[in-house]
Amino acid sequence: MDAVSDAGTGDAIVALRSLALAFPGSDQRVLEGLDLAVPREGFVAVVGPSGVGKSTLLRVIAGLLPPSGGEVRLMARPEPGRRPTALVFQDPRLLPWRRVAGNVELGLEGLVASRTERRARALAALDLVGLAAEAERWPRQLSGGQRQRVGLARALAVDPDLLLMDEPFSALDAITRQALQDELLAVWARTRKSVLFVTHDLAEAVYLADRVVLLGGRPARIVRDERIAAARPRRRESPELAAAAARIQNALGEAYAEGEGI
Amino acid sequence: MMPRALRSLVLPAAGVVALLVVWEALARSGLMGPTLIPPPSRVPAALASEIANGYWGAAVLDSLGHYFAGVALGSVLGIALGVTVALAPRFAALHSGVVRILRPIPPLAWIPFAIIWFGISQGAAAFVIAIGVFWINYFASLSAVQAIDRDLIELARAFGHGALVPRLVKVVLPAASPGILSGLRAGLGQGWMTVVAAELFGIPGIGQRMMDASGLLATDVVVLYMLTIALLYSLCDALFEALSRRALAWML
Repeated sequence: MDAVSDAGTGDAIVALRSLALAFPGSDQRVLEGLDLAVPREGFVAVVGPSGVGKSTLLRVIAGLLPPSGGEVRLMARPEPGRRPTALVFQDPRLLPWRRVAGNVELGLEGLVASRTERRARALAALDLVGLAAEAERWPRQLSGGQRQRVGLARALAVDPDLLLMDEPFSALDAITRQALQDELLAVWARTRKSVLFVTHDLAEAVYLADRVVLLGGRPARIVRDERIAAARPRRRESPELAAAAARIQNALGEAYAEGEGI
Repeated sequence: MMPRALRSLVLPAAGVVALLVVWEALARSGLMGPTLIPPPSRVPAALASEIANGYWGAAVLDSLGHYFAGVALGSVLGIALGVTVALAPRFAALHSGVVRILRPIPPLAWIPFAIIWFGISQGAAAFVIAIGVFWINYFASLSAVQAIDRDLIELARAFGHGALVPRLVKVVLPAASPGILSGLRAGLGQGWMTVVAAELFGIPGIGQRMMDASGLLATDVVVLYMLTIALLYSLCDALFEALSRRALAWML
């Protein structure tokens, strides 16, 4: 076993302890007894079959769904003008009636009183994703990849400790997806944000993350926790990554064989 | 081919001219008397005399007053209630029976109560106009808010705007604005349709002037006021369209 168990949560940005979630009016638990810690400045990917509860997990951490058991401990620095977590969605969910900069400012409203400062922070976030020049355009004038980058900038603008990314690149074409993966890694290297990244694409997970957590079963539990030690910058075709992906793939297969009902 | 903009002006104008020509021909053919069908060529003279004796300006001003009071009241209440009901399903269930009872009652059926409550007054006319406008705006904003993408509501919550007021201001109302604005626009038309009827029972305005004229069989004056309403409606509608085009620039 080369599964990694976190010794402690001292250096974690978020720690989940025996987390359980059932939707109201349903006995069927989506998550149960889930323990997971995301280290500060770490990049953790969560993979698993669709419907296993990966997105649900992000929503619990973001505070959008109350857990029905266990706890979510966010070790975020309580500072004014910031939010502890920020979500990036699969469909970027830009507000079509706001220009690009206005969309990026959304999370700053009610957080930063000064209009000038909101604008400055939005432009800085857009600059991080290479879209400063598009600040005054409408979302409909952008390409799919640009829109997704605006979604990322909107999350970065609130200067979160933890970025929660919900299959952010899965709706993009292969070339754009790879470009955005590299851009995300560059942003991550510059900002040192902790990232929890949900995807169903194993190759994407092993390319991006320090650690890949495989969820399976119903209620979902951690089937495998694989550390990806490959040095950065990585090559997508590296045998080391391919081997890691294969190990996770096998774990997924074993889970099926055990009748986990994935 | 004509350019699009030109065609959209020329064809409607041609239709109006054709209508006037047929109408004039019919009136002059002697098939029907000038009282039954007053020729359109008599309308300018009617207009001149109505303006000269001050009736036209006074009637238009009075009617505009009723119209704007009624449309504003009906629109504000209709949108407010429609949005509230869409956001509060329990409240929706509570009042759905009441809606079923009140909805099919035409605005004009409220005239007796309007007179009892407000007397023969400007308020009575505004009230009757407001009722028709209310329902249009109520249903338009109700369905516009109900149709909002749930994902945008989640977005609002995720970025700190989960409380009612910020959620309304930042997501719900802008997202529903195309539907709400089209309800407002339909209400502007409905308002003019009710103005005349609301004034028929003696409140000064275009409707009352039409009743007076028809009592004297001055049908050319009746036609004059019919066209006046058409003109006022067109102006309101064009103005509103220009404004909502600006408000919805993000959609174009």
